[in-house]
Amino acid sequence: MAAKNSPATLVGEREIAATRIFNAPRELVWKAWTERERIGNWWGPKGFTTTTYSMDVKPGGVWRFVMHGPDGRDYQNKITYVEVVEPERLVYKHGGDKDVEPVNFQVTVSFAEEDGKTRLEMRMVFPSANARDHIVQTYGAVEGLNQTLGRLGEDVA
Amino acid sequence: MSADRLNSTFAALADPTRRSILARLAAGESSVTDLAQPFDMSLPAVSKHLKVLERAGLIARGRDAQWRPCRLAAAPLKEVADWVEHYRRFWDESFERLDDYLNEVQSKEKKRGRKK
Repeated sequence: MAAKNSPATLVGEREIAATRIFNAPRELVWKAWTERERIGNWWGPKGFTTTTYSMDVKPGGVWRFVMHGPDGRDYQNKITYVEVVEPERLVYKHGGDKDVEPVNFQVTVSFAEEDGKTRLEMRMVFPSANARDHIVQTYGAVEGLNQTLGRLGEDVA
Repeated sequence: MSADRLNSTFAALADPTRRSILARLAAGESSVTDLAQPFDMSLPAVSKHLKVLERAGLIARGRDAQWRPCRLAAAPLKEVADWVEHYRRFWDESFERLDDYLNEVQSKEKKRGRKK
């Protein structure tokens, strides 16, 4: 089971993809993504909490929320749903408003049933280099160069 | 680094041959001939890839006309690494938390006697 998980990795020029198997029925995983009283329980890296202002899961509907960082900073966020196919596919745009974090990318999440478990695949596509620049400059991150090359090498193998 | 520069870095990284050239250079500097060896490719073809990598700032080359060793230039790769790392962390940790959450919800349901 663990072998089927694939951590988020760079695919091509501006796409990040990840796969993960969850030991739960697909309906429950779908609910965890689409119900406001559930999504705040897990969204975001460790140490973050999420407060939802409003959530309307339908094409054109919006999820407005704030992420509270472990450093005390608040990150205003907006997600607009593009495609909602219960319980198998969710497509949304992240960002794109003046008073929210200046990120801009589209995410496709697929939910597949596999022996009572759920195989979740996600792809995020960035439309512009500006989106990447912002992430690099604002958030930063530390990772060894060799690790990156290791991963780049794995892509090839 | 400008958006253009980052774009050319990504374009350069999009090709598997160029990624594997970079992976080889991570072990140390190398001549064009040595780099060409594992690929079924002519020297001019490999040189073309090297030019793309050089333009993207991913490699630097020696001045000597005969022996122009290639070596890795770290800065652009670091930018890409940081960019990927941010999202890797976001999603890997979110998924960990989602995993925990789903387990917790299901064990609560079981406790309430609604087994399965």
